[in-house]
Amino acid sequence: MGKRVLLADDDQLLASLLNFRLKKGGYSVHHSPNGKEVKEYLKNEMPDIIVSDIMMPYCSGIELIDYVRNELKSKTPIIIISSAGNEQNVLTAFELGANDFITKPVSPTELLVRIAREINK
Amino acid sequence: MAISKSKDLLGQLSQLERTVGEFSFEELNAHEAKELKESFNSFRSSLEKHIYAPKTQQIVPVKLKTDASNKNEVSEKQFIANVSHEIRTPLNSIIGFANLLKEEKLTKAQHKKVQAIQFASNTLLKLINEVLEYSKISSGNTNFESVDFNLHGLLKDVMFLCETLIVDRNVELLIDIDENVPKIVKGDPSKLSQVLLNLLGNAVKFVERGFIKLEVFTKQKNNNEFLIEFSVADTGIGIPPEKIETIFNGYTQAEDDTAKKYGGTGLGLTITKEIIEKLNGEIEIDSTVDKGTTVRFRLPYTMGKPTATPVRKIQKSTFKKDVKLLEGTEILVFEDNKMNQHLIVEQLTQWGCTVHADIDLDKGLYLLSSRKIDLILMDLKMPGQNGFEVSKAIRSHKNSRVSNVPIIAFSADFTEQDSRDCKEIGINDFLLKPYTLDDLLSTILKCKEHKVEQIDFSSILQKPMIEPKETTVVDLNHLMKDCFGEIDMLNELVKLFKLNAIEFIGNVKIHLKTQNLKEIALSAHKLKAGFAMIKANGMRNLIVELESSCKKDDFEKVKELYDVFLNDYPMLEDNLDKDLKLMNKK
Repeated sequence: MGKRVLLADDDQLLASLLNFRLKKGGYSVHHSPNGKEVKEYLKNEMPDIIVSDIMMPYCSGIELIDYVRNELKSKTPIIIISSAGNEQNVLTAFELGANDFITKPVSPTELLVRIAREINK
Repeated sequence: MAISKSKDLLGQLSQLERTVGEFSFEELNAHEAKELKESFNSFRSSLEKHIYAPKTQQIVPVKLKTDASNKNEVSEKQFIANVSHEIRTPLNSIIGFANLLKEEKLTKAQHKKVQAIQFASNTLLKLINEVLEYSKISSGNTNFESVDFNLHGLLKDVMFLCETLIVDRNVELLIDIDENVPKIVKGDPSKLSQVLLNLLGNAVKFVERGFIKLEVFTKQKNNNEFLIEFSVADTGIGIPPEKIETIFNGYTQAEDDTAKKYGGTGLGLTITKEIIEKLNGEIEIDSTVDKGTTVRFRLPYTMGKPTATPVRKIQKSTFKKDVKLLEGTEILVFEDNKMNQHLIVEQLTQWGCTVHADIDLDKGLYLLSSRKIDLILMDLKMPGQNGFEVSKAIRSHKNSRVSNVPIIAFSADFTEQDSRDCKEIGINDFLLKPYTLDDLLSTILKCKEHKVEQIDFSSILQKPMIEPKETTVVDLNHLMKDCFGEIDMLNELVKLFKLNAIEFIGNVKIHLKTQNLKEIALSAHKLKAGFAMIKANGMRNLIVELESSCKKDDFEKVKELYDVFLNDYPMLEDNLDKDLKLMNKK
């Protein structure tokens, strides 16, 4: 089985495309449409990498980083998807322990490269 | 009692968790998969029984209740809420494991079995979410508003949303608001739309042909207080008499296989009833099997102050005067793109016209000979029977009342051949897409007043071909590359994109009425990525501007941009379809 990616994004359209490309790239993907579900998923399972949108219902990407690093005490790499013009969010994400970020509109190819780099570090 | 039942429930859950844990999925055969599915179903119904059985027996007059028993009930509901929440955790791991399992190399048969697990557990998850919402409402955790709002506007918006749901079905959607219903009332608009959408959504689910009708009238009036009755009638499958009494009690659907056929968890009506009762209203249901169902509910409102409604943008005075001239015009629209059809009907109806759309040649001819039709709008490039053929048939009809009705054609391009054909067939005027509302209005008026016999079609050709409007441009090449050239994936994404856009249109429409700019900003934000994907940069910029206008609280600007969106989006969708068709051919 390929490396496991947790994809947290409430945008169905983007998620479908990323899901497709990640699977083509040999990853196994779990997609969560909201932050609450992500948290519950992480209670039972820790993927090899987390890719999360910053704006999500119930629990933002920022809260998610805090949860993974400080409550679950996990060092699993986290890549944040942010909207353009949200530099402050990206800075906060890095402070809390995000490993990398990518700005919307997301290029799937670029995201795959970034994921591979984080996983192989 | 609540504690023991809930314990029972938790016991069942851990049993389920153990069972799933012990499963060796490779050894599952069809029979076992079926059993698994059934056990999920029986688990679901037992869950429902445990949660609702005590409630149905508690029909005690409210006044007789002591404070203690009230408290008891509240804590029981709180407890249910907590338990439901707990249930979701193991359930999510069932779903998660099933998802993971699907990723592994499975035989076709095994894949099917995993799908059965996914189906059952997703259904269960949906039920639990509804249970949570239900207990939230009944334990008083929901806030009710009391604001002035435009009741007529809300009703129309709700119907608009429903229309997008039944666009491809043979169901007619009717609305009848009695004139004694006040325009502006004071109450909770979002709860009313939730109730209406629940009921209409139910009707949409259960009606295969016929109609769905929303009727509204004032049942009682006392000075400033109104009791308004709403009824939602449908020609659906109906409910047998013995089930009607229990239909509002928790998880019930008329037949045990209703869920299988129509989906849903049956909590919608319970939630609806709770909301209505919390608003001091009442609800009743009337149904005949195979004939249909009518749900009536009555809610009290007080007269609202009209100043609280959004200020309408003042349009150019000539435009306004012109619109007046259109009132009562009866128009046939031949346009097969449902989205375009929907929008043009909306616009014309708003201008006071009677519109017949969604028609084919036969129905059109029938209407032309039986009614006094003033005008025909004709899309020239319909994929089936095209506009030229339909126009030709109309012009050559033996009844002169039919054959003489003015025809305005429209299409996104116009060639020399088109020009000759229009002239020969006897089409009166032409609109090049994308046209503005002004264009549409003045062309219709010109034709209606018979000011033109036939325009000089070559003049359209001589006009330098207008650069395609920036907001309607799309390019799928990029996305196709991202899909590695897999056409199925591209089709899927475009389908999703269109659904998102329709959802956006409905959402913004509703939130504009209540001036909820926060929600509109969120909707716009969600749509941005989609437009970026299909390289619709012009439209994406518009959405970005719309989002930032929401944040600046510039209501007028938001409304203006939304109108541009409504005007241009159908063209963009046309271009998208064209592009996709090309890709599919390649």
